[in-house]
Formats: sequence, structure tokens, C-alpha cells
Amino acid sequence: MNIVLIFLITIFSVSLFFYGKSKTKTISIKDNIKLNALPKFYGYYLVLWCSIPALVFLLVWSLFEPVIIKSIIIETAANQGAIFSDKNEANLIYEKIKAIHLGTYFGDIDSILRESALAYAKFINLFTNSKVVLIFGIIIASIIYSLKKIKNNNKARDDVEVILKGLLFVSSLIAILTTLGIIFSLLFESIKFFSVINVFDYLFGTNWSPQRAFVRDASSITAAEFEELKDAFGFIPLIAGTSFIAFIAMLVAVPIGLFSGIYMAEYASIKVRRISKPIIEILAGIPTVVYGFFAALTVGPFFRQVGENLGLTVSSESALAAGLIMGIMIIPYVSSLSDDVINSVPQSLRDGSYAVGATKSETIKQVVIPAALPGIIGSVLLAVSRAIGETMIVVMAAGLAANLTINPLESTTTITTQIVMILVGDQEFDSPKTQSAFALGLTLFIATLILNYIAQRAVKKYREKYD
Amino acid sequence: MSNIKIKSKNLNVYYGDKQALFDVNLDLNEKEVTALIGPSGCGKSTFIRCINRMNDVIDICKVTGNIEMDGMNINDKDLDVVSLRERVGMVFQKPNPFPKSIYDNISYGPKIHGKGETKSELDQIVENSLKKSALWEEVKDRLDEPGTSLSGGQQQRLCIARAISVNPEVILMDEPCSALDPIATAKIEELIDELKKTYTIVIVTHSMAQAVRVSQKTGFFHLGKLIEVGKTEKIFKNPDNKMTQDYITGRFG
Repeated sequence: MNIVLIFLITIFSVSLFFYGKSKTKTISIKDNIKLNALPKFYGYYLVLWCSIPALVFLLVWSLFEPVIIKSIIIETAANQGAIFSDKNEANLIYEKIKAIHLGTYFGDIDSILRESALAYAKFINLFTNSKVVLIFGIIIASIIYSLKKIKNNNKARDDVEVILKGLLFVSSLIAILTTLGIIFSLLFESIKFFSVINVFDYLFGTNWSPQRAFVRDASSITAAEFEELKDAFGFIPLIAGTSFIAFIAMLVAVPIGLFSGIYMAEYASIKVRRISKPIIEILAGIPTVVYGFFAALTVGPFFRQVGENLGLTVSSESALAAGLIMGIMIIPYVSSLSDDVINSVPQSLRDGSYAVGATKSETIKQVVIPAALPGIIGSVLLAVSRAIGETMIVVMAAGLAANLTINPLESTTTITTQIVMILVGDQEFDSPKTQSAFALGLTLFIATLILNYIAQRAVKKYREKYD
Repeated sequence: MSNIKIKSKNLNVYYGDKQALFDVNLDLNEKEVTALIGPSGCGKSTFIRCINRMNDVIDICKVTGNIEMDGMNINDKDLDVVSLRERVGMVFQKPNPFPKSIYDNISYGPKIHGKGETKSELDQIVENSLKKSALWEEVKDRLDEPGTSLSGGQQQRLCIARAISVNPEVILMDEPCSALDPIATAKIEELIDELKKTYTIVIVTHSMAQAVRVSQKTGFFHLGKLIEVGKTEKIFKNPDNKMTQDYITGRFG
């Protein structure tokens, strides 16, 4: 139904555009009036007036219709004699009624349910009809209003400008509000988690085993269970594993990325640059899951083989394999960012260095790199925050056991991996185990936020110096 | 008559297909200031960049002809550019101190060339260079501050100090005062007068008055050709060429 309505609104709008355009044109020619705007702006004006109020109304209606119908139906069912003690049972009954209406309910249907289903059908019909009527009413009203406006030769160009500005504002508002919504949902769920688990037990605990938290209801924990829970959510092994893998990744990505950035910016001829830069950037376009199975299926077993030949025990899921592949994934970021900052070091500095007789590598080492250092540090920090947030590679290649280890050949785990493990499959949304995922998410979010902030400050400071 | 330090014969420079200098024959005298004047894009800067081979930095640039310093062919492919630039210093249009301390800005060149093995020798070089560029008194208490914290005129004198820190024989100056105010300019001109006792100086300038004030010899370039060269007094009072006359009286350029 909604699709049909949207289609109708579109057709109305498009035909109004041509109508308004030609109408104003003929009027202006016939009566020799100087229009305040080009004819097409009158067309746009009509289109915006015809479509926006109707679409906004449709959106608001669709948001509230189910809520209103639900409360009416639940009330009707209660009047019919249905018994439910809390919200969950009421929801269950409502779902049953809906299923009966749609013909997908296969349980026993008693008279209460049947009556309610009939009432439901009635209300749905009523709501749909009134929606259609109201929308047409709105369309007609706004068409009449806008046609009257353009007959008076209003400043359609300025008015279109105002309406568009409003649209753009609303779009950015939505972007900001959704971000805020995500942050708050993280925050509230984390607060629930921290009301059960002490913040300090979480932050400084050295043992991570959320599977032990089988407690159903957070409010009815016994003292013994509480003791048990206390050391099931220790954050230390996760942050240690995360930092360790990120560190290995940086060991790979920073030197290679930086050196390739220097080569691209300082040595490569235009021709080489034009070919090789896109090739490096292709690396950035490979989906991380592909890196992930490369790490899990090729690199991991390879390391194990090599380790066995050398007489070492290497776990087939190792921090080394995950870190190495993650490092390769990050190379293009470091490379292209440092290429950019090195490129923006002014040529005059290089000239100054050449002029006292420095060679190219001396100039790069002693003048260009120090000048670009804040930007390079910024790019490395951005890469670090990517490494910390990376999920797929570590899920596939680093393992799941939260070992507190500094042996790169053993398996270890990261924050992101644990979030995935906790939220995959069936879970209860009010158990501390599930809520711990939100706490992890919040911690991760804060960590990357701080890193990004420092990185952007560094990059900005650098820009100010030379622009 | 002083000795000829640098001698160019039929010097041609090309940027890709475009020829920037046409058969330039110009002699620069030792321990004298030679000013190069002419409208923008006439090849003055291109000419001085031939003297320390700075044009090597530009990929598409090609230099033919002969340019000699003390009988040594500067254009020789096998010439060690590093040691050439040690002997021919350069100061640029815009002050370009490195993002390092004042001290490191000056000690950079000597360190690269292995001059000043010990700290005290380096200190001495830094002090001497700053004294020669008349900056010592202003900065002696803050040598570890960044070079970029100085004022524009001070920065330019810092760059001059940097150029003389490796003890060159020739100093090339590419419009050294164009980014400076009149007071800073006066200081630099004073400094040039002092420096010419020790160094051979070539200065590119857009200011006729400056050429008159600082130079003994002047060359006028137009569209890549050296139109006229001679004693500064003569060029500005009684030029042989009509075009020179027109340029210095401000009829074009």
C-alpha cells in the first residue's frame, strides 16, 4: 500500500513540475509579466510542496500506526476477557492475533482470539483507508496552496533554496542523531553490565571466561554466584591480546608502508607513480574476510609447519599469523597517508638542503621526514586504531581462548573477537554475558576515539605549519 | 680588474620543449656582487640555478653549453654535485629554514660534509656563520629555539648563515629580499656589502634600486637572452641597448 502511495505521489509531483513550468511560461508571455524566477523554479517549487508534506505524513503515520493499533487491540482483547499478567504476555497475545489475521497461526483458536482477530482486521482496514484519504487530502491542500503562491509570482527561486536548505539540515541531523543513538545504547547497556560487575573487576581482572555467566536474572544473584562472576569478566587478557596483535601488525605495516610512501613521494617517476599507487590501493579494497581466510588457511598452517621443522610448538591459530596479515592489510593506509604528508612538505625545504650540498637520502632523512613527522605519526595512529578495531582477521586467525601471553606463536584473542563470540547465536539480552559485549564495545569505542583524536590533532598541527 | 670566477659560454637551458636560456655568455668576477635584472620569466633564476646545478632537481630540464668555475666544467656529467654545492651556496626567494633549531639549521651543512668533528668546532662554525650574517647578537641566547620562530628578515639571514656555514666561494641569491619589508631588506643589503669581501655573490633582483645599491656589475636578461652586461654605473646611467634603457626607466617589465 505504501509503495503504491509513494508511486502516486511521485507521479503527481512529476506532472506538476511540467504543469508549473509551462503554466508560468505562458502566463509571463501572455501578460508580459517579468517573473521573479526562471519557470523551472516554479516547477521545483510545486514538486517540493506536493511531495514533502505527503511523504513526511506517510513516514510519521507508518511509525505510529502499529503502536496505536497494538494498544487498541490489546485493550480489546482484555475487554473480551483475555488474561495476561505482564507486558511480555500481552505482546505474545498480540502476535497471536496478528498471525491469525494473516492466516499463519496453527495453534488452538478460542473465541477471545477470534473476536480480537476480527477487530484487528477491522482496525487495519480503517487505518489504511483513512491513511489514503488523509494523504490525498494533504496532497490536494498543498497543491492548492502552492499553485496560489506561484500565481502571485512569488520568489520561487529563493523559496526552493530555503526548502532545500531544510532538507540538507534534516539529513545531517539524522546522521548525528543515529550516531548519538548508538553511543547511548552502548552506554546504557554498559551501565547495566557495570551494575552487576564492578568496574574495577572488569578493568583490572586477568581472567576472561564469560561462558561461566549462566545466571539468568541479574537481579537475583546469590553471593556464591557473584563471587564466581567477579573474576569471569577480566578485561586485561583482551586488551593485552588486542595490543599485542596490533603491535605485530604495526611492526609489519609501519616500516613497509612508510618506506613505500617515501619511495612514492620522493623517488618514483610520474609514470611509476601512476601505475603503482593504484596497485597499492587495491590492497585496501580487498575485503578483510578474504585476508582472514588467507591468514587462517594459508599463513597459519605455514607457520605451524615451519615451527615444527624448527622444533617449536606453534599453534595453528597464532597471534603472529593474525598480526602479520593485519599488518599487510594496513600497509596501504600507512603508505598512502605518509605519501600525502611527505608530498606536502614544501619543495623549498628540499631545495635548501640540496643547496648546502646534501644528497637526496640525507635530505629525506634529516629534513623531509622531520618536517613530515607529525603527519606521519598521525597516519600511524589512524592505522593503529584500524588495527585495534579490525575483527574478521582475528576471528579467523588469532583464536578464541583468552590467553594472557606474550608468545606470538600461541593463540590469543582480541576485544572484537570476543564481542563476536558473545553475540553470535542465541543469547539472553539481560544476562551479564551479553551485556559484557556492550561494555567491550564501549571500551573499544573510547580507545579508538582517543587514538583518532590524537591522530587528527597531529595531522592538523602539521597542516597549520605549512599551509 | 678582478679575476673571473665563473664563466659561461653559449649556455642554453631547455625545460622540455621550451628553451629558457639562449646562448648566454656571462662572466662573474671574484669577490664582487653581480646583479641580474629583467622582467619575470626572463631566465635570471634559471641562469643562477645552473651555477650550482640546482636544475638537476627538475626532471625535464636540460642544460647545454659551457659553464666554468676556476676552469672547472660545472656541466660535466661526472662532476660531484655535492662538492660543487659545498663551494656554491644559495639563498632563496622565500626564507626556508628547516623545521629544526637555529643551531641545527646552521650545523646541518657542516655535519653533512664532515666539517666540525667535535662539538666545540661545530659551536665555533655556528657562531662564526651567525656573526657573518649579522644575526649572532639577536639569537645567541636562544640557539635551541626553532628557526621558524624568527621574523621573516631574521629567517632570511639565518638562511644566509646556513649558506656560509659550509664556507663556500660563491653565494647565489635568488631575489632574497622579495618577501621582506624595507628595514629587513636594508639589513640584508648591508650584509651583502660585508660578504662581498669574502665571497663572490650573484643576486637576482626585481628592484633596480637594489641592483644599484649592492652590485658592481649588472646583467640585463630579456626572454632568455642576456641583452646587456657591464658595470652597474654604466648600465643604469648610459646603457648601450635601447631595451635596457626602456627597462630601467620603467617603460616595460
